[in-house]
Amino acid sequence: MSDSSIALELVDIHKSYGNLEVLKGVSLQAKDGDVISILGSSGSGKSTLLRCINLLEKPASGRVVISGEELLLKPGKNDELEAANRKQLESMRSRIGFVFQNFNLWPHKTILNNIIEAPMQVLGHSKEQAVKRAETLLKKVGLYEKKDAYPGNLSGGQQQRIAIARALAMDPQVLLFDEPTSALDPELVNEVLSVMRELAEEGRTMLIVTHEMRFAREVSSQVVFLHQGQIEEIGPPEQVFDNPKSQRVRDFMSSHV
Amino acid sequence: MSWDWDVIIKYYPKLLDGALLTLELVLISGFIGVALAVPTALARVSPNRLISTLPFCFIYFFRGTPLLIQIFLIYYGASQFEAIRESSLWPILKEPYWCAIIAFSLNTAAYSAELFRGAIQAIPRGELEAADAFGMSWFKKTRRIVLPRAFGIALPGYGNEVVLMLKSSALASTITLLDLTGMARTIQARTYTPVELFTAAGVIYLVMAALVIGLFRMMESYFNRYQYYKPPIDPLGVEKQ
Repeated sequence: MSDSSIALELVDIHKSYGNLEVLKGVSLQAKDGDVISILGSSGSGKSTLLRCINLLEKPASGRVVISGEELLLKPGKNDELEAANRKQLESMRSRIGFVFQNFNLWPHKTILNNIIEAPMQVLGHSKEQAVKRAETLLKKVGLYEKKDAYPGNLSGGQQQRIAIARALAMDPQVLLFDEPTSALDPELVNEVLSVMRELAEEGRTMLIVTHEMRFAREVSSQVVFLHQGQIEEIGPPEQVFDNPKSQRVRDFMSSHV
Repeated sequence: MSWDWDVIIKYYPKLLDGALLTLELVLISGFIGVALAVPTALARVSPNRLISTLPFCFIYFFRGTPLLIQIFLIYYGASQFEAIRESSLWPILKEPYWCAIIAFSLNTAAYSAELFRGAIQAIPRGELEAADAFGMSWFKKTRRIVLPRAFGIALPGYGNEVVLMLKSSALASTITLLDLTGMARTIQARTYTPVELFTAAGVIYLVMAALVIGLFRMMESYFNRYQYYKPPIDPLGVEKQ
């Protein structure tokens, strides 16, 4: 099947908050190894779109397919879709890594315990196996010596690198980044971006909502520009950054790059 | 007035017996109370009205009525029903000891449940979203993230609740129990030395309160250590094994 190389497919995602329609039918495809950056001004629906993928937000309609498996949805309350099968949702979520703007580490657990929690509890890994993998990942993000510290003792940039390691510990098929550097001081942004750049070079499939234009241009295979809940323009970075078809994207780029 | 040390010296073993009963009542109802409060609090935060209404009513009743009335209702009230007198529960419900335990347990359960509800709702949403995003089930999220996190948040407030319960347990003396207060009352009725005996009882309450406060201090510095933890100073950046 030709679908096998498609890591993530979103079909016609709609989402409203009350009367405000924030997503007006967004469709998107990511092949294995794609790095897709999602740009747009605030309120354009970027984060909502990302959060609809693993149902942290419930879309009003649309389909989500991960590696050929469709997320089973049924109509729920408030005209929103909800998971038709809890187990399937949990299993699909375990294969989607999610990195939050505010890191969302568990403050009462040490760094090591933050990382081994989900592999042990959700994937059923042994402690030994989980610790070994966590230590490898901690070295990868350059924070091995912090493994016994608590999140509160780390800088924002360090916490975000830990959050990335925590997501990687599940060995996800797709990684979603929701403005991963927006809560950071400017001097801490680069340490996080360099970890992400490394992941992109390894061929991980990633969707990145970001305001870091230069980074998006360097690492992306595709760039999506969202405007008022719709895709205004999509294409390779050279096109969207240097030669956008849409006047709106042109204006945005000239004021942001 | 003359202060009579002899009466204190003579009766202090009796007062200590009473203190022991007080501790026993607080400890047993404390454990039962927490065991009831945790599921009650979890049900209370459910978005489902069907699930959250019953705990709401339970909490409202036990917080909204005096503990003394609850004790009387259970102790005097239960015996008014023939069905209860003839049931297998009667051997328990006719004992003032068990009536006090039941009343204290339900009362502290209601207060603690409200405390735990607040703690659960105080957990930053993002920490729960992180658990969801990893595919944790409701049960795993509750057991691994929600309850441990809420426990740390609720601990200082819960220590307060135990101190309050320690003092409220004096009401057990109204249904013939010889707890610390009951014992002091019984002895002074015989010796006519209320000041000496109630002062002695008060001092013992203070000591017990100090023990409870110290115990919760220790628990806080252990379970909430992540709030105080400072990484070891390691200027050379050498990895510690």
